Amino acid sequence: MARARVEQHPATGMTLVVMVGLSIAFLLFIAFLNVVKSGDILSEANLLYAALVFYGGAGALYLGFGVTGTESYIKFASLATWAGLIANTAAVAHRWYEAGHPPFASLYEMLLSFVWTLAALTLIAEKRYAVKVIGTVTMPVAIVGVVLMQLLRSEVRPLVPALQSTWLHVHVTLAMLAYAACALSFALAMMFLIQDKLKTERFLAATSIFTVGIYASVLTRFEGWGGFNVIAWDADNKSEVFLAKNVRLFVTIPDLGWLMLLVFAAVVAPLALFILARVRKNEAFLSIANRAVFISILLQSLALVFFVIRTRDSQYSSLDAEGLYSTNLAASPFILSALVAGIFANLLYLLLLWRREDLERLLPDADTLDRITYKTICIAFPLLTLMIAAGAYWANKAWGSYWNWDPKETWAAITWLVYAGYLHMRITRGWRGRRAAYFAILGFGVVMFTFFGVTYLLNGLHSYA
Amino acid sequence: MALSLRSAARSIWKTLSSIKTGVVLIILVVIFSAAGTVILQRPMTEPDDMARAYSPAMLRLLDAAGLTDVYHTRWFVSLMLLVSFSIIAASVERFPNAWRYFARPYKSPDEGFRKVLPTQAHVAITDEEQGLGAAERAFRHMHLKSERIVRPDRFSLFAERNRISEMAVYIVHTSLLLIFLGAIVDGLYGWRGFLMLTPGTAGNQVEMRNGSTRTLPFSIRCDGTGEETYTDGTPKRWWSKLAVVDNGQEVSSKEIVVNDPLVYNGVRFYQASYGRTGKLDRLVLNAVPKTAAGQAQEISLSQNQIVSLDADTKVQVAEFIPDFVVQDGHVYARSNDVVNPAVHLIVTSEKTNKVVNFWLPEITGVAENASSPYNFEPKDLKTGVFTGLEVSHEPGQWAVWAGVVLMAIGLTFVFYVIHVRFWVVPVQDARGNLALWIGGSANRNRDAFEQTFKRLVEQVEKELKPRFEEAAEKPAASLPRTTTAGR
Repeated sequence: MARARVEQHPATGMTLVVMVGLSIAFLLFIAFLNVVKSGDILSEANLLYAALVFYGGAGALYLGFGVTGTESYIKFASLATWAGLIANTAAVAHRWYEAGHPPFASLYEMLLSFVWTLAALTLIAEKRYAVKVIGTVTMPVAIVGVVLMQLLRSEVRPLVPALQSTWLHVHVTLAMLAYAACALSFALAMMFLIQDKLKTERFLAATSIFTVGIYASVLTRFEGWGGFNVIAWDADNKSEVFLAKNVRLFVTIPDLGWLMLLVFAAVVAPLALFILARVRKNEAFLSIANRAVFISILLQSLALVFFVIRTRDSQYSSLDAEGLYSTNLAASPFILSALVAGIFANLLYLLLLWRREDLERLLPDADTLDRITYKTICIAFPLLTLMIAAGAYWANKAWGSYWNWDPKETWAAITWLVYAGYLHMRITRGWRGRRAAYFAILGFGVVMFTFFGVTYLLNGLHSYA
Repeated sequence: MALSLRSAARSIWKTLSSIKTGVVLIILVVIFSAAGTVILQRPMTEPDDMARAYSPAMLRLLDAAGLTDVYHTRWFVSLMLLVSFSIIAASVERFPNAWRYFARPYKSPDEGFRKVLPTQAHVAITDEEQGLGAAERAFRHMHLKSERIVRPDRFSLFAERNRISEMAVYIVHTSLLLIFLGAIVDGLYGWRGFLMLTPGTAGNQVEMRNGSTRTLPFSIRCDGTGEETYTDGTPKRWWSKLAVVDNGQEVSSKEIVVNDPLVYNGVRFYQASYGRTGKLDRLVLNAVPKTAAGQAQEISLSQNQIVSLDADTKVQVAEFIPDFVVQDGHVYARSNDVVNPAVHLIVTSEKTNKVVNFWLPEITGVAENASSPYNFEPKDLKTGVFTGLEVSHEPGQWAVWAGVVLMAIGLTFVFYVIHVRFWVVPVQDARGNLALWIGGSANRNRDAFEQTFKRLVEQVEKELKPRFEEAAEKPAASLPRTTTAGR
């Protein structure tokens, strides 16, 4: 919340650095008090907490840099990223030591590795390619990752027999590297679009469609008279409540559905105004649309706050079973990340609206960005290929067949095909610039679906992560 | 007629080989394979679950369209074949050009080429031979071998590296076809099934996915199987000792675990599952006679085994129920999991011909424990275990692995091995001054190449300097000023 305030009064000079520094010190001090009480300093939770605090500080500073263009923020932002990365590395090492295997075996462990790779790549992109604002995009992603980790099941769980193979490490290392490279190409493609003078209203349309999509899918949980369905959570076993095999029990939070419906209307408004502006050819609608975006951000934040408060630790009734069941944020990681992602996308749009010229000054030129995007995909594609090949070889040893048409496999193949399409269009058809950038963005969308969507939405053999 | 047929064939070929067709086919493959992950698939889903998920009319529709088993329907296979043909056609169409490039490299650039080449530089020289010598040394300095090209009207230097890179795309496409070939071979001749064995037994009847059975020409004997668990009870390791028996002889044996199968004659046996059969293996009881005379004794029973307790009394296991439930005075088995076991013993006295049904635990209504001459106390219970083996035969997998390796090589060439070429030609500019024209080209990563090119030109200039003084002292090397280069 402090961050939002900073945005509206663009801080000058060192104000933001001092504020962020003080917040970090304050949060660490509080944590220190807790640590003294519990007596366990270097536990994984504490390390992750430290990483979260530092990444949060770095994110605020990067965002401050994006908003005000004060160059000195960058130095402190990278410093905070370094500190976060060190804490994150310690957490990874701690996990590795405790579990006795590299942290690749569950979604929690994969996120741990993913956030680490993302932070490392951010620093590399910043130092090596001078893409300074990239932290504005990657740090919030890292923060969401660490927050999700707090909610997911985190105890070290023994490896089931199928996972006990060196190929696990080969396969997952390749996957993490490939996905991180895809994430980087996505961020670079976005920056290319800014530098390529893509009109802001196009961004408005894209962010609006994205947000409308989010709330449309969130509203599939709408129930009866304004209720909102979430999955029931068994706090003792730290797992979802199942009615039968693969059938989860839903509980209904009353009235939250109305709020979601209201927010849906608020996010549809900018899109409608954009279409109106297009049809009527009247620019005036666009400025109203921009204001509507601002209002929708406020409402979205409200929805997030209410969702968090009401989901935290309360008990609700269910339609399918008698009695009261509790729920927890961990039971709805998807909705939580969707709500955060929606706010984040809209904030990015506002950032672009206010500070476009500064951003353009700070980014490398369009040609360079286009080339680096292509280069990252040239790295990502062989890694994807090897990742699939290693997975197939391992599956051949563990499941008896190198290809099972399991959803995860199929979507990995689809990712591969999308990037193969990109390379063909670029090399043989000479696609450059905007079309290539759209393709890179699409590719990353598919990657994200393969990573998260398949795990949560489609069941299959590949159920560990 | 023949002509139109040929033109039709020609246009089909053209369509197949176009990149547009390729992209459309890729999009179709993406759409249908994505559909297969969203719609429940028959081979992986129980029929009951299918029926619960879709209405009967919907299910009929999906079945008719083949959408409940997308990856094995004819039209999906045809689509994949079409993709293969498209790759072949596109490669064949473009190959001759690339091959010409590869087999007959362009070594002696003419004036038109020199004019349009984007990466080029001019270096002033005083003498052709001296200039070319400097260029040759500069190439050597960059670890490039240069050759002198002498044409009737031209005279030049040529150097290159990694010409193979021009073929890289074909390596990748060939590898993809190899993978498809492997998959097709497996689709036609491969099979998968399941074999369940209990320790000490042998089997050769593999239960196939579609419910039929397949008889192996040899049999597999299980010499033991087991499970190790973590302290929280989750499985850590499953193992089975297997032996292959061919023509009555043991020809091979191995202890397999998950991730490490046994292979014999191209048929592979994987540890897929492990469990309890719910059948009795061994039951140890303490038999205590009710009369004061006798002594307590420990007996061990297996299914259908009759054990004498004394000269007159015998006992045997009539039933073993792993998970019992009593309903309407009858005992039923609820499941095959050994969670709530019950044993039905029959105690017979030969003299009186008295038969007593002894139940452990004592189930009221069916148990006659009170009239038994002996009391039985359970000491130990061992139930049967089985090992679940996944059996597969995939003769095409070697093509797949070869394809994967080839693809790794091909992609390395595509992305990281760059064909670079340099030409050096002595030319005379409009005012008659001698100069070295230096040109370069790279098939990929052109911005990095610009740097390499700059270094080469600098090197040539450096090589020229000391020679410049030498040349001033000695008379110029006597190379016949042949037909002036460039004109």
